[in-house]
Amino acid sequence: MKRFVLFAAVLQGLTFAGTAAAQGAAAPQAAPGYAAYPCLSYSLPCGKLATRKPEKKDLVGPLNGNAAKGKQIAQARNRGNCLACHVMPGGSQPGSRGPDLSHFSSTGRSAAEAYAMVWDMRTVNPETLMPPFGTNEILTDQELRDVVAFLLSSK
Amino acid sequence: MFERKRTILLSALVLGLAAGCAVLGDGTYRERYPDAQIDPFKGVEGDVGFSDTIQYWRDEAALQRHAGLADKPAEVWKLNWKHMDLDRIDLHPGHLAVDEGQALVKKLAARNPAFLTCLGEGSADLKGKAAAYPKFDEALGRIVTVEARIEHCAKSVLKEDLSQGKPPNTRISVYFKSLSAGMPIKVDLSDENVMEAYRRGEELFYRKTGQLNFACASCHVPGSIMGHKLRGETPTTPFGDAAHYPTYRTPVGALESIQERFARCHGQMRTQGLKPGDPAYADLEVFVTVLSNGYPVSVPSAR
Ligand code: HEC
Ligand code: HEC
Repeated sequence: MKRFVLFAAVLQGLTFAGTAAAQGAAAPQAAPGYAAYPCLSYSLPCGKLATRKPEKKDLVGPLNGNAAKGKQIAQARNRGNCLACHVMPGGSQPGSRGPDLSHFSSTGRSAAEAYAMVWDMRTVNPETLMPPFGTNEILTDQELRDVVAFLLSSK
Repeated sequence: MFERKRTILLSALVLGLAAGCAVLGDGTYRERYPDAQIDPFKGVEGDVGFSDTIQYWRDEAALQRHAGLADKPAEVWKLNWKHMDLDRIDLHPGHLAVDEGQALVKKLAARNPAFLTCLGEGSADLKGKAAAYPKFDEALGRIVTVEARIEHCAKSVLKEDLSQGKPPNTRISVYFKSLSAGMPIKVDLSDENVMEAYRRGEELFYRKTGQLNFACASCHVPGSIMGHKLRGETPTTPFGDAAHYPTYRTPVGALESIQERFARCHGQMRTQGLKPGDPAYADLEVFVTVLSNGYPVSVPSAR
C-alpha cells in the first residue's frame, strides 16, 4: 500500500514538491512556512502582507556560475523547478507554458540580461507568470548565477 | 495635507492599475492576475467563451462522444476529468464513504435526533438539500458550507468535535451530498449575502500570493497555465469542479474536501495554506460552487 501511494505520488508529478499540502492529508510532513509571503487569510498577518515590488537587479562582477549545479537547481521541484514551465536540456516532464529554453545560448542574450530576468521577470513583463526567483528569495544570488550559467551553456 | 494624501492615493491607484494590480482598501500593494470577467448568473455555462471545454464534459452524452480525448495526453485536460465520473456506478471507495457516513449519521442521530433535524434545518429529510449549499445562514450570520453545517450541528447538538477537514466530517459530507446526486447545484445568488461572499471569493481568486507569486487564476483561467503542462499535471477550468467534492483520491487513498484541495493548490503555490472552514476558504468555495451552478451534484466520485 505504502509503495503504491509513493508510486502514485511520483506519477502524479507533484508540481512543487516538498510541501505537506502537496502530499495530501494522508501523508503529513513538516510544512515549510510561507507566512513571510502574502496569503488569503482575513486574520493572519500574512493576509495583510504586500506583494514584493518588482526589483531590477544588476549582475555584479563576473558570472562565476556552475552550469552543472544550475541544471540540478533548474530541475529540482523544490528549488528552481524551471522545468514546470520550460523545456530545457535534460530533465523529465517539462512544462509547456514558458518558451523552450533548450537552445537559450542561440538567443544571444547576455548573462546580465538573463540574470535580471530570472531575478525578477516582472521588470520585463509586469503580467508575467514567471515567479520572481531573486526578489522572493526562491534562489540565492549564487544559485541564480549557476542557473544562468546553465542557460548560457544550453546550445 | 489631506489634499496631498489624496493625490498620493490616486496616483498609487493609477500606477497599480497600469501594472495590472489593485490597491486594497488597507493600502497594501497586492498584485492581481487580470480579471477573467465571469458572469456568475450563467453558472456552469459560463465556461462557454471561457475555457470552452464544457462542450466535452457537459453531460454523459458529450463525455461518451469525446471519450477518445482520454487517450490523448495533450488533450485529456479538456475533459475536466469528468470522464472519471462515468464510473459512478462502479464500486469505488467513494461509495464506501457514503455507507460509512450514513452509519455515522445514524449513530449520532440515535444519541440525539436533533442532530439530523439540525443538518436538515428543521427536517430529518436531507434529500436534495446539499445542492443549495453554500448558503447564508441567518441565525448563524455567516456563510455555511455542508461541512460547516456538519461541524456546527455536531457541536451545538451533541457537544462533539467534528471539525471540517477531519475524516468523520468529510464522510458525513459525502453521504449528505450523495442524497442530492444528479440534482443541479443551485447556490442562491438572489441572497445578497451570498452574492457578497461570491464577490469576496472572486477577489481572492485573482490575488497573487506566496513565494511563487501565483493567484488561483494563474493556473485556472484561459491564457494562464490552464491547459498547459506543468510538469506532470495540467490545470483545468474551475467550472464544474465543486460538483464532485468531497472526492475520493485514489492516489493517496483518502477523501478530500474541496477546501483541502484549495490548501493543496496553496502548497503548490508555496503559499501559507488555511484550515478547512476558514472564512476565506468559505468565500472561495462560494465562488467556485457558483461556477458549478446548474451542473448535477456528482458525489460520490473518485479522482
Ligand atoms: C510558472 C511558469 C514559469 C516558471 C516556473 C519559470 N518560468 Fe521562465 N518564463 C515563463 C514565461 C511565461 C516566460 C515568457 C515571458 C513572460 O511571459 O514573461 C518565461 C521566460 C523566461 C526567460 C526569457 C526567455 C527570453 O529569452 O525571452 C528566461 C531566461 C526564463 N524564463 C528562465 C527561467 C528560469 C531559469 C526558471 C527557473 C529558475 C524559470 N524561467 C521558471 C514562465 C516560467
Ligand atoms: C501552480 C498552479 C496552480 C495554482 C496556482 C492553483 N491550482 Fe488548482 N489545480 C492545479 C492543478 C495542476 C490541478 C489538477 C488538475 C485540475 O483538475 O485542474 C488543480 C486542481 C484544482 C481543483 C480540483 C479540480 C477537480 O476537478 O478536482 C480545484 C477546486 C482547484 N484547483 C482550485 C484552486 C484554487 C481555489 C486555487 C487558488 C487558491 C488554485 N486552484 C491554484 C494547479 C494550480
